[in-house]
Amino acid sequence: MELSHLGEEISATIVRDGTSFLLGDVVAEVDDLVWITIDGRKQPAHVAKSKDAWWVHFAGHTIRLDIIEAGFSAAGSGGGLTAPMPGKVLEVLVETGQTVTEGQAVLVLEAMKMEHRILAPRDGEITAIHFQAGEQVTGGDLLLDLQAE
Amino acid sequence: MLKRVLIANRGEIACRIIRACKEAGIESVAIHAANDSGTLFTELADIVVELEGDTIAETYLNSEQILTIAKDVEADAIHPGYGFLSERAEFATAVIESELIWIGPPPQAIVEMGDKMTARRTMRAAEVPVIPGEEVEGGIEEVISAAAKVGYPLLLKASAGGGGKGMRAVYSPEEVREAAEGAMREALNSFGDDRVYVERLLSGSRHIEIQILADSHGNTIHLGERECSIQRRHQKVFEESPSVALEPELRQQMGDAAIAAAKAVSFVGAGTVEFLLTPQGEFFFLEMNTRIQVEHPVTELVTGVDLVREQLRIAAGEKMSCGQLQMRGHAIEVRLYAEDPSNNFLPAIGDLLTFIAPQGPGIRLDTGVRQGDVVTSDYDPLLAKLIVWAPSREEALQRLARALDEFIILGCTTNIRFLRELCDHPDVKDGWTTTDMIERLWPEGWSPDMTGRILEVAYLAANAAEISGYGQKILNSSIGNTGESATPFTTLSRRYP
Repeated sequence: MELSHLGEEISATIVRDGTSFLLGDVVAEVDDLVWITIDGRKQPAHVAKSKDAWWVHFAGHTIRLDIIEAGFSAAGSGGGLTAPMPGKVLEVLVETGQTVTEGQAVLVLEAMKMEHRILAPRDGEITAIHFQAGEQVTGGDLLLDLQAE
Repeated sequence: MLKRVLIANRGEIACRIIRACKEAGIESVAIHAANDSGTLFTELADIVVELEGDTIAETYLNSEQILTIAKDVEADAIHPGYGFLSERAEFATAVIESELIWIGPPPQAIVEMGDKMTARRTMRAAEVPVIPGEEVEGGIEEVISAAAKVGYPLLLKASAGGGGKGMRAVYSPEEVREAAEGAMREALNSFGDDRVYVERLLSGSRHIEIQILADSHGNTIHLGERECSIQRRHQKVFEESPSVALEPELRQQMGDAAIAAAKAVSFVGAGTVEFLLTPQGEFFFLEMNTRIQVEHPVTELVTGVDLVREQLRIAAGEKMSCGQLQMRGHAIEVRLYAEDPSNNFLPAIGDLLTFIAPQGPGIRLDTGVRQGDVVTSDYDPLLAKLIVWAPSREEALQRLARALDEFIILGCTTNIRFLRELCDHPDVKDGWTTTDMIERLWPEGWSPDMTGRILEVAYLAANAAEISGYGQKILNSSIGNTGESATPFTTLSRRYP
């Protein structure tokens, strides 16, 4: 299942082990609730699925994860070409001078142990790239310049 | 003694009034628009009548239709709640002329307080301090010249206004024309009256309001203050009593001023006199609300007075039952809205797939919704009022934080997390609460503090739930685990989103 948070597509590898699901050292077990074991403590997460999103409540936080339907991109109103959160640039998928189309992934950012694909918010030409793979960014940093055509 | 009260309102305040009626042994009549069918308040009421019409003007604001229903069901009184018809003097008059009891102040008091310019003049005459400013007779040119006299920064306000509509803060003479045009246009659209007046903008001030009760036997008392400084878009989100800014002496002075304000318009019933309190400790009359207020539970928790029950008593011509003011402990109310605080607090819609309210000591929940309800854009996005009481302010904030952590709403974006972070903010803890604090603390807008591993957990939980068929499992078990067979009998127990 492809998910996005605030317009940014995210993905991570989840391992299934019998009835448990693992993401790194975090374990989930599904019962009437989803039980999360993190840092040696087991706590409940409440979940619900609406038409187009999964809603999760955990430790006082409510997170909406939009379900990306196959064939659609998560091009959101959110981040644009600035870093939505602090993290590390994993991969730059475009080159200076390249033209991109709306929704095309241009850069992969790792934050909170997950990969966030930064998508082009509109058609245009990449006129500058400000970070290389391996560099750290802070939230709000301008990652790329995108000139509309 | 009243026998049958029609509630000309909806949602949480209709529930609140219906419950007070039940406790007082009075029958309640709910009226509702078609799109409110089956909501909580229609479930609680003894008699339910559906209003004809589609728009708010044709339903909850349709005084003729409401009065006809009141006659048909033989109601003897009408409670307007807040908003809608509660401060329309013509409606109050029409109720009284229909030989029904109006659960509110005399229409003349509504008129005198409803027009903000008239109210300022009345208050000046009663020696209640008003905010330095100018009433304006005339159009845009007169507003602009009044602005020059008042000086900047200033606030333009609609004389017929309320709820932040027709209001503009202006910081320099260059902005005044455009702001005045905007304020007048908004005032005309909202209230059908484009008169605007000018007040000095008292930044860094607190919003302090005094609860008033007056009966028709000549008793007028105040029930202490509520501080409602924390506002977004000129609407309150966090209200508490007592205020950290009031010593007993200042409370006495403001209480006396509020009583003087109420007496100046021969007020009867429950009302609220709003003041701005400057950092220098000066207070100025803002306006008087001649109705029960959204945040009334805060006062109820610290004074022990049931304000709605007192309204019913006073309307029946009885004496109010409460005597000397006694405030005990600390109460805080937060308003849970279906809105996105990280996107300029814009209203949100959705299905209340999960709605689990907090429990435990010192918690009160006033709401008109429950799990399974749909939040639409038809009405105000208020979902619930969460009110906590504790012996001290510090403990009340701790209790509120705990309660907000327990509050689970899935399926619709809410401001719960925003309210929760307010509880931890040093300025809130210190009581440095001012009407401009949300802009002061989050000039670039608020976004949730997502440090830690919350997103990681959410991602895992959603995927684990999806893969396990969470939710569908419940559906399948209710139709006998076959998953496929759907006879007319078993589909009855299915819930469609």
